[in-house]
Amino acid sequence: MTENVVQKVFDELRRVLGDRTTQSLMHRMAYSRDWSPRQKNATDFPDVVVIPKTTEEMVRIGEIAYRYEIPIIPFGGGTGMGGGIAAWKGGIMVETKGMNQVLEIDEENMTATVQTGITIWELNEILSGKGLWFPHQPESKRSVTIGASIGCDNDSTFGLRYGKIKDYLTNAVIVTGRAEAVRVGQRKVNFSSTGYKLLDLLVGSEGTLGVVTEATVRVLPIPATRQIRGYFLRSLNEAAKGLERILSAGITVESAHINCRHRLHFYTHTYRQKFGREPHVPEWAEVILFLSFSGDEEIVDFTVERAGQILVQKYHSQPIEEKELVEGWWDSKHRLEFIPFKQKWPDSQRQKKFGSADLGLPIGRLDEGYRRYLEIAKKWDQEILGMTVYNESPNKVTASISFAVFVDDSNEESVRKFYQYVKEMSEMAIQLEGTMSSYIGDGDRLGGFNQLEHGIGLEYMRRIKEVFDPKNIMNPGKKFESRWIT
Amino acid sequence: MNWTEGLSTYRDDIYTCNRTRCGFCREECPVYRVKGYETYSCRGKMLVARGLMEGLLEPSKEMAEMLERCLLCGYCQARCALRNMDIITVMRQSMETKGFAARTHRENVDKIMKEGRLFEAQVLTKKKGKTAVFIGCLYRSKPKELSTIFSVLEKLDMDIGFGEESCCSYVIEATGFTKEFEEAKARCQKNLEKEKSNGMLTFCPTCTITLKEKYELPVQHAILAVHQRLKEPQIAKRIKPLKLRATYHDPCHLGRMLGIFEEPREILKQLGVEIIEMEHNRYFSTCCGGGGGLRAVDDKLSIDISKNRVLDAARTGTEMIVTVCPTCESTLLRASGRVMNQINKFIDVQSLWDLLDKSMNS
Repeated sequence: MTENVVQKVFDELRRVLGDRTTQSLMHRMAYSRDWSPRQKNATDFPDVVVIPKTTEEMVRIGEIAYRYEIPIIPFGGGTGMGGGIAAWKGGIMVETKGMNQVLEIDEENMTATVQTGITIWELNEILSGKGLWFPHQPESKRSVTIGASIGCDNDSTFGLRYGKIKDYLTNAVIVTGRAEAVRVGQRKVNFSSTGYKLLDLLVGSEGTLGVVTEATVRVLPIPATRQIRGYFLRSLNEAAKGLERILSAGITVESAHINCRHRLHFYTHTYRQKFGREPHVPEWAEVILFLSFSGDEEIVDFTVERAGQILVQKYHSQPIEEKELVEGWWDSKHRLEFIPFKQKWPDSQRQKKFGSADLGLPIGRLDEGYRRYLEIAKKWDQEILGMTVYNESPNKVTASISFAVFVDDSNEESVRKFYQYVKEMSEMAIQLEGTMSSYIGDGDRLGGFNQLEHGIGLEYMRRIKEVFDPKNIMNPGKKFESRWIT
Repeated sequence: MNWTEGLSTYRDDIYTCNRTRCGFCREECPVYRVKGYETYSCRGKMLVARGLMEGLLEPSKEMAEMLERCLLCGYCQARCALRNMDIITVMRQSMETKGFAARTHRENVDKIMKEGRLFEAQVLTKKKGKTAVFIGCLYRSKPKELSTIFSVLEKLDMDIGFGEESCCSYVIEATGFTKEFEEAKARCQKNLEKEKSNGMLTFCPTCTITLKEKYELPVQHAILAVHQRLKEPQIAKRIKPLKLRATYHDPCHLGRMLGIFEEPREILKQLGVEIIEMEHNRYFSTCCGGGGGLRAVDDKLSIDISKNRVLDAARTGTEMIVTVCPTCESTLLRASGRVMNQINKFIDVQSLWDLLDKSMNS
């Protein structure tokens, strides 16, 4: 982009948005990175930052970008781990959080229609006043928006019972790369067998088809009670089997997180630090399984007891005695009642950067995945943090896995080693008949390389992109191109 | 130490925030809520701090203006274990060193240095009494509010005394004038020489935190002494319950920074006030809009922030905010009048001292 073009774009945007347009380096600095691993002094400066308030303003921005062929990068919570908002091709950074209004809460039909810049936390605060909640809740929910959740197809703490954002979306408005606002989906119902499912295309599209500005989502009544439990088990596969048995018994479980022995040590260490005493951990314990249940009190009481019986009697499990240890899990995953960086080890990122390969694996290959993870992380000098298996599909065991490491982000070479680690882990996922990414997305890391997963399908995806975005202005440098993995 | 060295002291904290970007501090930042750019949130400022530290960005008028639009309310600090407020203060110092501080801040600093006060004092009298108090220049400019406090203390049989004072100079430090603050501090400390060992009561939360933490004086906010007195049965029986519903706004300096959350609420309950809490309360309360010297440089923004806080209060369904800080009282009351049309009702703002005075027999 020449300076001349950028100046013209800025001037035109300014005429539409006034003070909600800036090209100051200071403001651009504040939009220069997300949570993804990169060198600690890395920056990707957008050329301009804008804050639209409506779909109509977003269309005007799109028109200007289309005319000058300048990229548009939608910015949501800024907590992504795949470089989805990295403006490495320059362009207009769209601060979507200016579009943060609730347009309608329809209590009769149990839907909420919102501008997509609202955070999930804020939406839930508003819904709670009416006894409702929106159960799609990633750990970044304090910061992350509805739009970013659609764009990134991120994970949810409550996935095992309620699924992810695609399970709630009934319609959405996208401003495409043609600068047209298109409402896709089916008003206030969750399904339709007419036409193509354009709404599904938006989920995980990472802003490469357009900017999603409005969405209608199904909401639910807040459950009356909730209980959480933790169990020690002997293997990851056994934990998955135990969970499968619980579900097949007719029990509903909201959350099920299966943690490897490294993660087990994280939780026991945190407990030790906080309470100054040793938790009771059996010598054979290799895995912690955490579960949450919700609903009416007597039903929850019954299901908690029965789930415990299944795990203990059939899967040789042992319940965690220390209630505080289980509460610690829930505080970190749902309540978010912790102060970042207060703890010194091991989740603090004071010295190194948290990084993750987020693979989806078949449920019978968890132990094999864990073994390979240890080998591959060692090969690329990555400090192992641990493996957590999230369940993200309603009422069935699935494995969306975080294989976490600490990345040395002091220099580019060591960051590149991390991406070599991600690459080899991705190859392993395909060998094991899984997927390279289950909640982070392609971002600026897997694009192009993901042909390994999609084959000729990637070419069809490219053609779909052309329909929505013929000039390739919507978040270029993502999904079809990588600057880390080739 | 120059400002770049000052910022480098916090190098690890700055990089830690940059590499993490959790955003816990962002959504409820009162300034970000109005301005909308990440830059105004703490995590945005931490990227700007890195830019300054690495020389990617230079101090500028624009940067000074952005930093001056911070309330130093400490909300971000409450959400994070990094030293955010110290970093923002160092950044403000760097702007002042480079000559970019707002002219109104410079004028206010000059006024305090010359006259020993920021606000026009109406009350300059001295008084002898058993318990030493530090009034502060804001309360000295508000005879009505001050006489209410005196009335309450008299009804509690507390014999207070006070003498010459100079401004605590919080605003000098908060706006980045390090050198001047050291001078002002020395002058204030000299006036308070006697209280070094005796201790004293304070009325203004900002004076309290400054005298306590910057001057290391054994001061205590007077509301704690009132709380203690009201525990005595013969004093407690003087209360005539008010039968009110209200929400309580925690002043940032009194609540988040001094940890005084429950005592004002317990007093309110004792006065017969049913408290309906706002969503953001106690440690995670949000600022009234009057902090950090903002009113001096951007009154419109200050009012917009105050309006948001009044709207927070309106959502509780109550029609009264009670607080105990001269800045919060006036900023919230001012905003309340301006949101009347929006919410079709007037949210009254009362000082806890007012309610105490009304409920107690002489």
